[in-house]
Parts: sequence; C-alpha cells; structure tokens
Amino acid sequence: MLTRLIVYFAYFLKASKRYQRTKLFFYDLLENAGSPLKSYFDVFMICLVMLSVFLLIYEVDHKLGESEVLFERCVISLFIAEYLLRGWLYSDNHKIILEHYEKAEYLNVPFRLGKVTGIILAKKIKYIFTPLALIDLLAILPTYRPLRVMRIFLLFRLFKLFRYFNSIKVFARILVSRRFELVTLGIFLGFLVFIGSTAIYLFENPANGGQVKNLFEGFYWAVVTVATVGYGDISPQTTGGRIIAMVLILVGLGVLSFLVSIIVTAFNEEMDELRENSTYAALNRFDDFIIICGFGRVGQHIARQLEKDQLNFVIIDPKEANVLKAKRLGYLVIHEDASKNGVIQNAGINNGATAVICTTGDDVINVYITLTSRHLNPGIKIISRANNQDNVKKLYQAGASNVIQPFEIAGMVVAEYIGQPVAFEAILGIIREESHIIMETLCVHPGSFIERMSIAEIDFEKRKLMLLGIISANPVHQKHKNSYPIKNQHFYFNPESFFVLRDGDLLVVIGREYSIDYFRDQIEKSRLKRGRKR
Amino acid sequence: MKRIAVFGYSVMSLEAMSRLNPEQCSIIFIGKDEAEAALVAEKGFDTKVIDFRNDDALRSIGIGTDVDTLFCFYPRDFDNVFLTISARAIDKNITIVAIVDDPESAEKLLAAGANKIIDPYEICGRKTHEMLTKPDITNILDNTVFGRYDLNMAQVEIPKGSCLENTKASDLKLSEKHNLILIGVVDRELGDQLHFAIGEKEHRLDAGDILVVMGPSREIKAFKKEVEQC
Repeated sequence: MLTRLIVYFAYFLKASKRYQRTKLFFYDLLENAGSPLKSYFDVFMICLVMLSVFLLIYEVDHKLGESEVLFERCVISLFIAEYLLRGWLYSDNHKIILEHYEKAEYLNVPFRLGKVTGIILAKKIKYIFTPLALIDLLAILPTYRPLRVMRIFLLFRLFKLFRYFNSIKVFARILVSRRFELVTLGIFLGFLVFIGSTAIYLFENPANGGQVKNLFEGFYWAVVTVATVGYGDISPQTTGGRIIAMVLILVGLGVLSFLVSIIVTAFNEEMDELRENSTYAALNRFDDFIIICGFGRVGQHIARQLEKDQLNFVIIDPKEANVLKAKRLGYLVIHEDASKNGVIQNAGINNGATAVICTTGDDVINVYITLTSRHLNPGIKIISRANNQDNVKKLYQAGASNVIQPFEIAGMVVAEYIGQPVAFEAILGIIREESHIIMETLCVHPGSFIERMSIAEIDFEKRKLMLLGIISANPVHQKHKNSYPIKNQHFYFNPESFFVLRDGDLLVVIGREYSIDYFRDQIEKSRLKRGRKR
Repeated sequence: MKRIAVFGYSVMSLEAMSRLNPEQCSIIFIGKDEAEAALVAEKGFDTKVIDFRNDDALRSIGIGTDVDTLFCFYPRDFDNVFLTISARAIDKNITIVAIVDDPESAEKLLAAGANKIIDPYEICGRKTHEMLTKPDITNILDNTVFGRYDLNMAQVEIPKGSCLENTKASDLKLSEKHNLILIGVVDRELGDQLHFAIGEKEHRLDAGDILVVMGPSREIKAFKKEVEQC
C-alpha cells in the first residue's frame, strides 16, 4: 500500500509543472552558474556571511542585544534552508523511484522500496560529504547550544565564501591539478621536519645543555626554521644543533622556492584558460553579439566599426600576435582555431550570436568556417571574405549569406572615384554617416498611418526627405515599373505618386537624421494609437 | 577623354579597368614584364612594358603630357611611393590614385603626392560592417552605385549656355520628366560641397554646377544629352 502511494506520488511530481518550476527556480538561484539570479544571490550571501562573522567578533567582548540575536537566528535559518535546498537539488528522488519502478514492472519482478530508499539515502549522504556541504554544515552546527565548544568552527562561515566566489574555486582547482607535485613535496617536507625535529631533540635536550625539552618543541623549532621564520625563542646551543639549523634553513629555502614555483607555473599554464573562461562568461551576459573569425587587417577594421557602434563582438584567431593585438585593444578574444566545431559552439553560435564573419586571409579556411557555422546554426547570418574570385561560388555553396571580395570592391571604388567623384563621395559620406545626412529604411508597420497611403499623400518634400524607392515582397506592387529584383524582394526605384504603400514595405529615404527619426516616431506612434483603439 | 595609366597587375587593377567606361577614358596598362602585359592584353586593354624607376620611360608613356590619371597598384608600398614621387615630379597636375598595404604608408604616399589613397582592407571591413548593420541599404547600393543592374548614379555638369542656366533646381522635376532622382547639387556659388536635394534650400543653377542624379542608365544618358544640347 505504502509502496503504491509513494509510486503514485512520484508520478504526480513528475507530471506537476509547478514542482518542476519551483525546482528550476531554486536551481537557477543556487546552482546555475549562467543565471543572473545566482549572481545576485551570491552577492547577498557574501554580505550575510561577512556580517555574521563581524557579529561573532563583536560577541567576544560585548553582550548581544535582542536584535543581534534575532539577526543571528535569521542568518542561521537561511543557512539551514540553503543547506537543505542544496540537498534537495542534489538528486531527483522521484526520478530514482520511477526508474526502478518501471524497470521492475518491465522485468516483472517485485519493486523493492527498501532498496530504492537505500539508493536515495546513499545519494544524499554523498551530498553531505561533499567538501562544500561539509563546510555549510560546520557553519550551522556550532549555534546549537550543547555544541558551544565548537564556536571556533563558526569561522567556517568564512569558508562558505568559497561557494560564492568563482575565483576561489578556480584557485582550488589549480591546486588540485598540481596534486602530484604538491603531495611529493609535502612528503619530502614531512621527512625533513621529522628528521630535523628528532635531530634537534637529540642534540639540544636539556641534558646536553640545550633548550628543547621534548619532541613537540623539537617539531615546533623545525617547522619555524624550515619556513625560514626563525622566532629565536628556541635557539641551538650545541655545534651539532647549529649544523642541523644551517642545513634545515638552506633546504627550507629550496623547498619554499620550489613550492612557489609549482603554484606560479600552474597559474601560468591555466592563465589562458582562465582568460578564455572570463571571455565566455562575458559572452553569456550579452543578449546578442557577432563572432569575427580572423583578426587580420579586415577583421581589425570590422572590429573598430563595431566598437564605434557599441555592438558586442568576440574575435576568434589562432595566431598569437593577432590575439595579443586584440587584447591590447580591449576586445573579447578566444585564442583558438575557429574551424573546430567546439570552438565556435562554445563562443555561442547557438547562444546569442547574430552573425558570423569569416575574414581570414585564406579562402580554404573561410569556406570551412562558413560550412561549420551553417551546419551548427542554419539560420545565422554569415558574411565571408573571398580573396579569389573563383571561390565566391564555393562560399555561397557552403552557406554564406553574403560574400565580400576586398580587391574587387576596392577596384570598384577606384573606378567610381575616377568616373564620378562627386556622386561617389556623396554616397560614401552617407553610408559612413560622416555628415548628418543619412540613408535609412523605414518600415510600413501594419496599422500605421502611412499604410494604404499613396506617395503623393505622404508628401516627402514637406517632410524634408528624399524617397529613393521602396523595397517590398508584396506581389500587389508588381504592376509598377522600375522594379529590380533583390534576393526575394523587389526594389521599386522612384515610385510613381499613385504608388500605394502596404504593410511590410520598406521605404528607402535620404535625409537629416532628425527628420528621419521624427518620421519614424510618427509611424510608430500612429501604429500604437490605432492598436489601442482596436 | 581621360587618359589613365595603370601600374601593377592584380585582381584590383583588372576590376578597376573593367569598370571604367571605355567611352570616357582610354586606359593603358603598364606591365613589369611581357607575360604580365600579355595577360592584360588578352582582356582587350592597351599595354606597355617599361621600368617605372626610369623617368624617361615614364615620360615615354605620356606622363607629363597626355596622361591625366595614374593608378599605382603595386603590391609593395615602396614601389607605389617611388612611382608617386616620380610622377608628381614630372607632372604637378596629374591625379594619382594609390593603394596601400600597410596603413602606416598612407601618410608617406600622401606626402609623396598621391591624391587618393585606397586601403582595400579598410574598404572591405567597412563593407562587411555595412552589411551587418544596414543590409537593405547595402543591397540597394550594390545594385545601383556599384551597378550590377541598370540603375546608376551619375554626375552631370551644366555647360555654359545651357538652357538649365538660371533655372531653379526644384523646377527640374527630374522624377516626373526623366524617371531620375536628383540626389544633390554642387552649387559653385556656395563652394564645392554637395547639397542634398531634401528641400532645405533653393539652388539657382549656373554653368559649372554639378547635378548628382540616380536612375536607369539610358535615362541618365538621355538627360545628359538634353543638358548638353539645349
């Protein structure tokens, strides 16, 4: 009966949306490193831990008032709640029950609740013994009155900070990665201290006229000497003792420098990874960004333009020199080969990236990156550079949305410059937004006042705007002349005065920035107003 | 007719040469060796092989006499700088367009006397950026200014004695009469700056003023003819 009830309850939890939502919320709050909720919670907890430790220090020679006791109780309740919640999140009990129940049903064997309870308990016990959970527990326990002696463990609350500081975790991870070297050095140090302490005890015991009364004092002296601290409270008097001291000091120096070098090299080796991690973390925070593969001459220009526009971007380049240059300019950069699936995936091609730009000097690599990116994200915009005319087709085949040919464009620019310098400089000025005159597209939103209006009615001249044409995919317009196909749409150049606008059309206008902005505002406002009336 | 001398064989020089209107300018390609010259000659351009370091050789192709424009398209910056200095010394009025590989060389080329510096990488970077931020506009410009279709942008100078002299720019009504859009006017009375035709100011047209128009090329041609003949 009980078994059936428990299984029924497990199914209920599995189906309950509310339960899932609650669990997801607490997961985001406590464990999900990518969630902004967790970072707020971490900061809050850091403040709380610091406050509670200050209170502990204050308690040493002050009597706590009622409000302080209340605060302490609140902190402890929060710690307990956090501890239990983490325990709850650690494993999904209902999943374990159902998994075993369904297995038993399938194999037609009896379902044993005792065994499953054992598995669940084992999981929870595993949680209790994880280092961070132990620290959490030790931070809570000493508040229990009969365990007052354990007050010193209250300082464990400071260790709780481990949980909330990512950099401390990284430090611990680096130390763990050097476990072998550190353990070897530790064993050597243990031997050294052991030999040193026994030798000094033998040479310097009071019977020989020395100050070392027992083996513990010998041990204390050896540690102080090896660490090159040398308080001087115990100093060797005999020749033998002094020789031991000299040897111990010299070897101690060596051991210390060895220890430092192990830690420093470990950090150095991990530095790149650390930096890259911070790049990934920064990318995670962006809602949208652009991936630039290759930080050569073209890549640098693109990055500079994007920086000017305050758009987010990340650079991927395998060349050390380019990476250094990008870092010096303060850009986010990943020192990797973008042709690997993992690299471009980690950079977030499916997680916020809006466009990929392949701008390496090698067409073969550009084709490969284009293909990889298209494969990973079929909808993303990919702009690729072709250094050789023959490869343009291949890049389109690989999935590029646009292909740029640096030398062809430059040739075109030269020809335009010679043929029509005034026209050319004018249009260049517009594109680069060097003057206040800009070229923009304005969308005819459904419900806005210009929808179903004719060009003559809008009166662009009065609005101090110049209408170049209209981009539209609407087949209604196809009767008009001067239409030029552009991808899936048509560009209607110099539309007649009776051309009637439909929703979704794009007006291409030239004018001063503020006239364009004003017109755009009017369109937006009329759309909202009309929407409200409906 | 403009006479243009192109130095240096590259994708870029071929592109520039093929885009220039043969009715408006005559092009001569200067090769380093016969093989280079033969490759370009295949495409139907006049070619010559000379050593650009020699001033007499430069004079022999018409620099200082009939060449108006010089393209320095050598891949190495110092070749371009040397050519620019030599040509500028021979002819003070020649228009020199040079490409630059290292951005630091741009200043040197300007100091040597180049009129326009082209940095292919910069242009490419800008273009990519435009494609990202203003894809619609870039598409239209690709199809118009950089004419893949029949749509073009052109400048029309008003000659002396034209019937357009002393008319108002707003009276032209180009969009109705010629299917052209008047982008702007260079009003010589107000300097060399282009004033966009966005209804801010009335311009009275005089000889020497330039109209920048956009439209199908045959309409542009017809309008040019009309301006010259009336």
